[in-house]
Amino acid sequence: MPMTDNSAGKTGAAPEGVRARDRLALLTADNAAVPLPAGVQAITAILLAVLLIALPWLGLGYRFLSIAITTLYTAIGLYGLGLQFGQAGIMSVGHAALMGVGAYASAILSVQLGFGFWTSLPFAMALSAIVGGVIGLPTLRVGGQHYIIITFCFCALFVVVLTNGGTFTGSATGLDVGSVTPLPGINFDKLSNNYYLVLAALFLALSATYLIGNSRYGRTLRAIRENEQLARSVGINVDLHKLGVLMVSGLFAGLAGVLQLYYLRHISPTLFGAFPSLYLALMVMLGGARYLYGPLIGAVIVNFLPEVLNLDPVDSRIAYGVCLLLVILLLPGGVGAGIKNVYCAVRGGLEKQGGGTNGRA
Amino acid sequence: MDIFVQQLVNSLSVASVTILIGIGITLIFGLAGIVNFAHGEFLMVGGMATWFMVGAGMNFFVALVFAGLLVGALGFAAERCLFRFTLNRPMNGFIMSIGLSVILQHAVIRVFNEFQKSITDPVGLVWTIGGVDVTAMRAIVVAITAVIVAITYFGISRSRYGMALRASVSDRDTAELMGIPVRRYVTGVFIYGSLLAGIGGALMISLFPITPFTGSVIIIRGFAVSLIGGLGNVGGAVVGGLVLGLVDGLSAGYGYPEWTDAYSLVVMILILVLRPQGLLGGTLGPKAS
Repeated sequence: MPMTDNSAGKTGAAPEGVRARDRLALLTADNAAVPLPAGVQAITAILLAVLLIALPWLGLGYRFLSIAITTLYTAIGLYGLGLQFGQAGIMSVGHAALMGVGAYASAILSVQLGFGFWTSLPFAMALSAIVGGVIGLPTLRVGGQHYIIITFCFCALFVVVLTNGGTFTGSATGLDVGSVTPLPGINFDKLSNNYYLVLAALFLALSATYLIGNSRYGRTLRAIRENEQLARSVGINVDLHKLGVLMVSGLFAGLAGVLQLYYLRHISPTLFGAFPSLYLALMVMLGGARYLYGPLIGAVIVNFLPEVLNLDPVDSRIAYGVCLLLVILLLPGGVGAGIKNVYCAVRGGLEKQGGGTNGRA
Repeated sequence: MDIFVQQLVNSLSVASVTILIGIGITLIFGLAGIVNFAHGEFLMVGGMATWFMVGAGMNFFVALVFAGLLVGALGFAAERCLFRFTLNRPMNGFIMSIGLSVILQHAVIRVFNEFQKSITDPVGLVWTIGGVDVTAMRAIVVAITAVIVAITYFGISRSRYGMALRASVSDRDTAELMGIPVRRYVTGVFIYGSLLAGIGGALMISLFPITPFTGSVIIIRGFAVSLIGGLGNVGGAVVGGLVLGLVDGLSAGYGYPEWTDAYSLVVMILILVLRPQGLLGGTLGPKAS
C-alpha cells in the first residue's frame, strides 16, 4: 500500500540502511509537530517579507500584481481556515460564504449608510466572526463529515438569500463600492498601494497564526483535534475552544472579504458560492493546513499555476483537480509538509556526512 | 385540484431521480464509508453519455444500460485508484472526491462543451387519466426507479450478501474473521452506487436538459436525501427523496419558487443538527475524524 505513515513527530533524518521505500515514507511524512530551529524560522520569515515587500518594484507588470493581490487576500481567508482545520481539526467547505458575509456587510454599510473602508471594516469583521460562531454551533453536536455538509448547505443557502435579497443585497448583479478611503498621503487607487494594504493585512494574519499556534491556546486546540474525549476529561472546555477558533477564523474571513470587496469594487453572489468555497478547501489542503506558510503556498500555487502554465480556465481546473489528488495520495500533509521534509532530509544527510549523529531536524 | 394532482405526478418523477442518487450516496457513504462528492458528477457523466449515444442513433433504453455500465466502470476505477487508499482517513477521501468532481466536470466541458444538452422524449406518448396528463416517459422513470429500489432493498435486507455487508459495517474486524472479504464488498458497493448514478443520469436527461454543472447542484440534494433518511438506509432514502421531491415540486407550483433551493437546504441543516442519525435511523456513517 503506498499510504505513508503519517504520525506527527517522526524524525526527518533517515537512519542508516533504510530501503528506498522507507526513505520515501520519511519524505512524505507529516512533520508539522517537529519544530524547526529558531534561526531557520527567522531567516525564512525575513526572506519572505523582503520578497513580498519588494514585489511591486520587480517590474512584473500590472497583471502579475493583480494576481498577487488576489493571492494575498485569499491567503488571509485561508489562514482562518488553516487555523480551524490545521489546529482544531474542523474542516469547512463553506468558507467563501464567511468571506462573503464580511464583504456584503461592508458593501451594504457603504451603500445604505455611506460607511467607508476603515469604518465598515470592524463591523464586517465582527459580523463574520459572529456568523462563524453561529454556523459553528452544530460542531458541538455533530462532527466530521456531517459538519462539512452543514457548512456546504450554509454556503448554498447564503447564495440563495443574496440572490433573492432584492435591492438590499443587489440580487444576482451584486453591489458596487467606491475605492478605499485614502489615508494622508496614501491613495489606494494606485495598484501597488492596494497591494501593500493587503500585504499588511496578510502579515497581521500570519503573525496571529504564529502566535496562536505557539500559545497555550494553540496547544489546547491541537489536544482537542487529537483526542476530544481526552481533552474534555482533563478539564478543557472543548465547546468554548471550538467556538473560539471558529470565531477567530471568521474574523480572518471578514478581513479577507472586505479586502476582496475593495479590490474588486464589485461583488456578486457567485463569488461566495459553492465553487469558491471548495477551492478554498483545496488550497488549504494543497498547501498544508498545519504549516505556518502552508495556506500561503496553497494560494500561490492555485492562483499562479494557470498563469505560469498558460492554461485556459478549463484546463487549469483539471490541473487543480489532478494536483489535489496527487497531493492527497502522495503527500497527505500538503506541499508545506513536502518542503519541510526535504529540508529535514537534506539536513539529516549533511549531519551524517559531517560525522554527526542523526539528530532530530 | 387537477393542477395539484398534475404537480404531484410531476414531482414524483423528479423525486425518482433524486431517490436514485440518494440511494447511491446512502450506500456508499453509509455502508462503504466513503464520502464521494463526485457522485453528482457520476450522474452527470451518465446523462452526457446517454446524450451522446442517443445522438449517435442508439435506442434510449440501450443507451441507459450502457450509461449505467460506463459509470459503474468509472466508479470501479475511482475506487481502485483513489478511494481505497483513504479508507482509514475519510476526510482525505472526501477532499479527493472534490478534486475528482472538478476533474470530471471540466473533462466533460473539454470533450463536449459547457452548454446544456437534451434529448427528445424517447417515448413521446402522453396518457390522459381522469383529466391529468401523464407523460409516458415520466411514468417509465418512476417504474424503473421502483424496480431498482425494490432490488436494492431486498438485496440489502434479505440476501446473504446484504447481510454480510451489514455485518462488515457494524463490526469490520469480526466480519473479516468470519471470512467476509470486506474490501471486496466496499468495492462492490461503490460500483453498484455508481451504476445507479449512471442510470439516474440517463433518466434525468430524458426528463430535463442537463449541463456539465448539473452534478454539483444535484449532489447536495443526494446528500440531503441520504442524510434525511439515515445513512445506509434504503427505505430512508426513498422517504427522503419523496419528501424533498414533493417540497420542491409543490413549492415550485405554489409558494415562492425562487426560494425552492432554500427549503431543501433548511430541511437538511435542521435534520443534520437535530437528528444526525436521520429520520429513520441508520449508521452514523464512517467514524468522524
